[in-house]
Amino acid sequence: MKKLLVLVLAAALVLPVFSLSAIAQEVVTIEFWDNQQSESGLSQYQQAAVEEFEAANPNIKVNVVTVPYTEYQDRLVIAVRGGTPPDVSTVDQIWNYGFATGGAIIPLDDYIAQSEILSQDTFFPGAWDSAAFDGQVWGIPFNIDVWQFTFYNADLLEAAGVDPESLTTWEGLKAAGEALTNVGEGQYGVGLFGHLGEDTVVVMNSFVYSNGGSVLNEDGSCALDQPEAMEALEYLVSLLPYAPEGAANAGSGDMRELFLNGSLAMEWWPALEQPTLLGSDLNWDFVVGTAPEGKTPVGTLGGWNLVIYEQSQHQDEAWQFIEFLTSKDINGKVVDLIPANIEAAEAFLAEERVGPDRILDHLNNARPRPLSPEYLQVSTIEQEMMQALFTGTSVEDAVANACEQINALLEE
Amino acid sequence: MTSTQQTQRLDTVGSRPRRYSPSSDLRLALLFIVPAVVLVAILMYYPMGRAFQESLYTTPKTSWLSVDPSQVYVGLEHYTNLVNDDVFKQVLGNSLKWTVTVVLFQNLIGLAAAVLLDQKLPGRGIMRALVLLPWVLPGVVNAILWRFMYDPQLGLINSLLIGAGITADKTPWLAQPSTALWALIVAAIWKGFPFSTVMYLAALQGVDHEQLEAAHIDGANGAQRFRHITIPAISGIIRLNLLLTTIWTFNYFDLIWVTTRGGPLKSTHIFPTIIYNTGFGEFGNFGKAAAYGVIAVLVLLVFAVLYLRELRRSEVL
Repeated sequence: MKKLLVLVLAAALVLPVFSLSAIAQEVVTIEFWDNQQSESGLSQYQQAAVEEFEAANPNIKVNVVTVPYTEYQDRLVIAVRGGTPPDVSTVDQIWNYGFATGGAIIPLDDYIAQSEILSQDTFFPGAWDSAAFDGQVWGIPFNIDVWQFTFYNADLLEAAGVDPESLTTWEGLKAAGEALTNVGEGQYGVGLFGHLGEDTVVVMNSFVYSNGGSVLNEDGSCALDQPEAMEALEYLVSLLPYAPEGAANAGSGDMRELFLNGSLAMEWWPALEQPTLLGSDLNWDFVVGTAPEGKTPVGTLGGWNLVIYEQSQHQDEAWQFIEFLTSKDINGKVVDLIPANIEAAEAFLAEERVGPDRILDHLNNARPRPLSPEYLQVSTIEQEMMQALFTGTSVEDAVANACEQINALLEE
Repeated sequence: MTSTQQTQRLDTVGSRPRRYSPSSDLRLALLFIVPAVVLVAILMYYPMGRAFQESLYTTPKTSWLSVDPSQVYVGLEHYTNLVNDDVFKQVLGNSLKWTVTVVLFQNLIGLAAAVLLDQKLPGRGIMRALVLLPWVLPGVVNAILWRFMYDPQLGLINSLLIGAGITADKTPWLAQPSTALWALIVAAIWKGFPFSTVMYLAALQGVDHEQLEAAHIDGANGAQRFRHITIPAISGIIRLNLLLTTIWTFNYFDLIWVTTRGGPLKSTHIFPTIIYNTGFGEFGNFGKAAAYGVIAVLVLLVFAVLYLRELRRSEVL
């Protein structure tokens, strides 16, 4: 009896505390991860935006974690596997499918249906496509860019009498490469690269796409053995005499050194390269990609999507943060690539990039890399195929070998 | 020790004389050992055990990133697949080529440098400090440095070779499957030899000078004295050095990853790079990566056992 009394008294003391805290709104802290690819002060901009978000949403605090690009993938995978993922993060477009099928992230269709701020039309179509698969949407496009624009050293082209507009066709680019190469003097026309890295794949894909080819068929099987793709690969190999020696282990970063010191006339980069080039005293400009005569250059999309994690305790708050980050007024302030929000991108490009109209055209006409849960393996196979092509293997043999490996992935 | 414990101890000492007890010694010894054992068990043996377990399972693509992945037991399938895998054979061959060559030359050059630095030469102190430079260089810095040196267009090595008239063309050292591994072997030898030099230099200080003088008087020439007195005197250190450098070289990662990522065409993949690439680069192929890891551990275990035996023989343990 005495015990019961004590219990009742204790309950009477504690209850008001509970009811009070239920009235005062609970402050929730969400964790947001992003990576940084360049020295652009991105994390400071993001921090400023987060303060704006927190002021508008007093019940949500955001903890921003910025991870260097090179370790980002590993850190995310380890965090998810260890049961400690962030609530919301960026993921590379090419990881989005793997993260979805692996069970790391949630579909966002319900949130999108109820949203008053964003919808499919808010974003570039290719960016949206990169997160839409298996009948659901698994990420919201955050930023975007396209490989590749053909950047050129205007002084070198003028000296060799090459018309920059000619670089948009295969024939023109090859002729320019020949005119601009003098191996003995260390002058090269075009910077081919085939090291083990995604930049190798996006350039290769763009040549395949621009000739009407694909990497994978609808059913996930290898499409590189189709004539359009093989022609594109033949074409790339035919540029080898005009490229710096050692293409098989060169990356776009190595080519940057040569371009900046004036020994390389043309190189392929996304629009993100512009700030670096603006910082040099080179006389440079660019044309959109390169396609066979009569065809339109098609670029390869790159970029990052925002995803919400399955294990997050604060998915609703994470969604509010995504709506904020991708909104028209904010998106341009929190990215170093191009904002994925079309309106934000138009404003961003007008202010931050040379040739905004050309960039927009090329963006609207770009394709994502193959959507596949096995994408990273497909990509590695493509990279090694380029290394084989750049070290003397014939296109037939290299493609046959690559397709055999890609099709074997399907059977697993 | 807390103050309460201290007081208790003082009380006991005051009340009756302490008697020597072997069992309390044992308990004390255990007390000292336990933290280390626990740490090693948690940080080393548990992950090793988990890696072995992982190598017996495969994780379906549909759950590899969930907290509780529905793993499927496949027994030794990863191992049998590896044995029939051409990539595995290539990696094994690369690893052997890499380890044997790097260890051999690192020790030969290390020993030669030590003998040279042991002479009474002017500037010996500065030289001894300078020779350590490659060893103290961080691994990634070393890798970037060599990447620059091997750069076909901008690199020092090609400009030296072309300047001296040895080659006419710019050789892409790291971009040809035929040269990439050998180019990296040279870089690894350069990075590693100072360690061997320092070890051998220390060992040479311990060689009995009276013996050397006696041999000299008896008419033994320099080579004979080196062969019959110096080498036997430092043989323990030579064996230790060989074993240690073998283990380190086998486990190399940074130099290869930064310069070639195992390419071109897997010509520079060794165990650590292929393990990383399989586990993380290919998104969740952890079972296969773990099988590679277990095989690497088995290879290294042979050397670890030899190393421990050597430590016992030289009575360090």
